[in-house]
Amino acid sequence: VIAWLARRWVGVVGVLAAASLVELAVLGLVVSPADQVQGDAVRLLYLHVPAAWLAYLAYFVTSLTSLLYLWPRTRSLAWDHLAGASAELGVLFTGLTLVLGSLWGRPVWGFWWAWDARLVSTAVLFFLYLGYLALRRVPADPHVRARRSAVAALVAFVDVPIVHFSVNWWRTLHQDATVFNPQLKAHIHGVMATTLLWGVVAFTLLYIYLLERRFRLAELEENLDDRVLQAALAERRAEVGVSAPAALMLWADRTVDDFATPYVATGWGITAVALAAYAGRVALRTREARRLIDESGPRP
Amino acid sequence: MTDAPPSGHALDPTPTEPAPRPRGPRARYIVAAVLCVAAVVYLVFFGLGSNIVYFRTPTEALAHKAKEGTHRFRLAGAVVPDSVHETADGVDFEVADNGAQVKVHHEGDTPALFKPGVPVVCEGRWRGNTFASDRILIKHDSNYTPKQQVNSVTTVTVEPQR
Repeated sequence: VIAWLARRWVGVVGVLAAASLVELAVLGLVVSPADQVQGDAVRLLYLHVPAAWLAYLAYFVTSLTSLLYLWPRTRSLAWDHLAGASAELGVLFTGLTLVLGSLWGRPVWGFWWAWDARLVSTAVLFFLYLGYLALRRVPADPHVRARRSAVAALVAFVDVPIVHFSVNWWRTLHQDATVFNPQLKAHIHGVMATTLLWGVVAFTLLYIYLLERRFRLAELEENLDDRVLQAALAERRAEVGVSAPAALMLWADRTVDDFATPYVATGWGITAVALAAYAGRVALRTREARRLIDESGPRP
Repeated sequence: MTDAPPSGHALDPTPTEPAPRPRGPRARYIVAAVLCVAAVVYLVFFGLGSNIVYFRTPTEALAHKAKEGTHRFRLAGAVVPDSVHETADGVDFEVADNGAQVKVHHEGDTPALFKPGVPVVCEGRWRGNTFASDRILIKHDSNYTPKQQVNSVTTVTVEPQR
């Protein structure tokens, strides 16, 4: 009964996440107004900022679960699986933050990239946790792997406050925080603030849903320690690998009235495709792992 | 049952020797992890380098003018209204902070949001008393206000350009 309830609960969060993302698209692309200075380019704010915050949250959860693994009394491989699942989502959201920021910077700053402290520290964050994910995949005894990745996760987390406060500590091209600035005074107006808040809620629901799904997958795959099954799984994975659609870029090249529109459209499109692709990939891998476990019967 | 899997099958109750781990993936993921660390080092030491202070203000630029010589640096300030003049190869204008004002000669295109009053970052070097710029970035602030709202509440002078 508890297992059934748990599955239901996750399903409800999934449906709520999907619905709130649709609502976010309506608010962000239709209802909310263009900005006084930036025009329609401001619509990338509603994805860029939630993606960045959720990346922080994901890395925080990774650090917390890594600590829980390292603490002898709470040591369990479940914490390690949760840390890995959350870090993977963190990398997904950091990647989105960088891509969306770049698409936003081009029309507003005039350039895709700038070597300032905020941008560089964010790219560093991306590569730190990408390295963490690579480290996790180096074959090793589960507890050896869990310990070494927990330590790596805690080291990598040092960069999170550096990213957040870089705009206050150093002089950057990137603007200061609109909401979590040192004065804690939000400089954002009415509907725009509502839309941003909605974006954070939607991304948080999505994060909870994907985290649970990815965590279950990690648990299932841990069961598949039989090498024959692992090989079969790797083969299947290669078949269902998702490639990034280049069609979006072509679509973004349309000539339009507003100079920012192609960037907004590309940003929202990439986000939708990336999130859907990731959710789909986890679902496929879960189904495949379940099937292989069923086929192999009870564990010896 | 014709073809029994070689070892470790789930239905086979007899304990089997654990097969040696394949070496391939191990090396691949270690290389991937090392490459990520290399990317971090590259970003911090070669990418960020001396950019931790991304730009100078006009006051600082004027104060360090002699020391700076013809080295490249970034100069940031608000575009002074009525100082913008288009030239054959770009645009002339002045940037100001609260204390000082610097003439800028920019060669090349300007970003879409470039107009009087906006804060800009110019990349270039001193040429006499003028800052010769070849790259302009818009430094927008962290305030967001709807277009319609401002237009309806306050009277905004319509800019001739755009």
